[in-house]
Amino acid sequence: MGTIDNAAGVLAAEGGEGGFWQDAYPVIPHPGELIVGIISFAVLYFVYKRFVVPRLEAMLAERQRTIEGGIERAEAMQAEAKAALEQYRAQLAEARNEAAQIRDAARAEGQQIIEELRAQAQEESARIVARGEEQIAAARQQVVNELRGQIGTLAVDLAGRVVGESLADDARRQGTVDRFLDQLDGMSATDGRGGAVTVPGGNR
Amino acid sequence: MTGDLAILGYGLSAIGPGVGIGLIFAAYVSGVARQPETRNVLQTIAILGFVLCEQLAIFGIALAFVFSGN
Amino acid sequence: MTTEVSAAEEFVPPSAPDFWQPLVGDGAFALTRTMVVMVLVSIGLAVAMMAMTRRLSVVPGRGQFRLEGVYGLVRNSIGRDIIGSAHFKPYIPLLFTLFTLILVNNLMGIIPPVQFPTMSRIGFPLALALGVYLVYLVAGVRRRGLGGFLKNLVPSGLPLFVVPVVFLLELVTFLITRPVTLTLRLFGNMFAGHILLLLFALGGEYFLLHGEGLLRVISIPAFAMFMLFTAFEILIAFLQAYVFILLASIYIAEVYADDH
Repeated sequence: MGTIDNAAGVLAAEGGEGGFWQDAYPVIPHPGELIVGIISFAVLYFVYKRFVVPRLEAMLAERQRTIEGGIERAEAMQAEAKAALEQYRAQLAEARNEAAQIRDAARAEGQQIIEELRAQAQEESARIVARGEEQIAAARQQVVNELRGQIGTLAVDLAGRVVGESLADDARRQGTVDRFLDQLDGMSATDGRGGAVTVPGGNR
Repeated sequence: MTGDLAILGYGLSAIGPGVGIGLIFAAYVSGVARQPETRNVLQTIAILGFVLCEQLAIFGIALAFVFSGN
Repeated sequence: MTTEVSAAEEFVPPSAPDFWQPLVGDGAFALTRTMVVMVLVSIGLAVAMMAMTRRLSVVPGRGQFRLEGVYGLVRNSIGRDIIGSAHFKPYIPLLFTLFTLILVNNLMGIIPPVQFPTMSRIGFPLALALGVYLVYLVAGVRRRGLGGFLKNLVPSGLPLFVVPVVFLLELVTFLITRPVTLTLRLFGNMFAGHILLLLFALGGEYFLLHGEGLLRVISIPAFAMFMLFTAFEILIAFLQAYVFILLASIYIAEVYADDH
């Protein structure tokens, strides 16, 4: 500190202003430096406020927008893909449904055809059976009628021969024959029916 | 031997802030060691505490020059 | 002063007068070395920032990436997190100006052609602290009005007889302590750091040139320490710039804190 004291003494002796600033406490601000500091700071602050920070902020905002735009685009794409997938799934389900329907329809149709055929066959068989019965009945009737005629003539013949009297009187003859035949009918009813029943049984 | 009592005084006044800063960073280190995820929060607080503590040492150095007899 | 060291056989430790380096004139308005540095740094910063922000792209290049890193630190880590996302936008230019100006000026304490920290002259930190002081006072008064601002100094729910004491303390804190500490912290750190560097450099030089025999060897650790502390000063330069805007934004944030 000796040198400083010397220097201070010398400067004090000179009485110059510089001595004060040289030896002034370092915590006393130098007015010129304070003014220069304030001016530089103010000018730099103005430059930053007017140009630098707005530019940086604009860039950051644009980046934010770009990122958000990118996210939006990606989201739209994803939504589109999802929609396409949904559509595809729906189509697939529809096709499956349709196929099932077709299968069901085919099955039903087949069933129907079988039913129809069976019904037709049954009808046919029934018809055949009916016709056979009819024929049998007709033949029987015919035989009965023929037999009735022949039996009548034969019976009258035989009776005439046996009795020896000519049954000329037609009316009486007719009455007698009819009465006889009726009796015969009553007798052979059980036999004839039994025979008629056995005929379709044999056919089957 | 010549010297300045004010500078000696500054040396003494620096003990307090020295201990204080040590305590602050000790707490910071153990805090971060326990919960590393709180590091960012603790860092700001630790620096703030360090600054407020250091302030005393800075006052000391300023006043040491003020009261040094030159 | 430093030139005398080599002439004198006696070692002269660095001290406050070493920081008075007028270039032109010698009075209260003399042109000093720090003034020139300050003006050059401001012009350089303005030009560099204008050039760097001329063509900003959404996808950053290398230079823009670094600029964005610094800007993001000031804007997001400090401005948005401390002041709050609702009010921080108008204060970004202030914080960014303070940060870059202090950082570059502090680094000037290490960069060879200058090697003298601007902020070790108290006028410059005072100028910056006055800026912050004005901003947070104006913001506070504008938000609540003068009455509301003064009323907000005292936390509600205090017993009545404490109120005047607390009010006085808070007023002193707001009007005097805050700008003074803001100034002194930056000034003190740079001043003390530079003295430390000077001490090691001058001590090493003294031992090397004027030492006898083995004493000359001591200059080697002295210079090693000088280099170590130069590296340390880089950290301090960054930390002080960070702390300055951290405190500035805390003071501003208090304006918007609804509860004291």
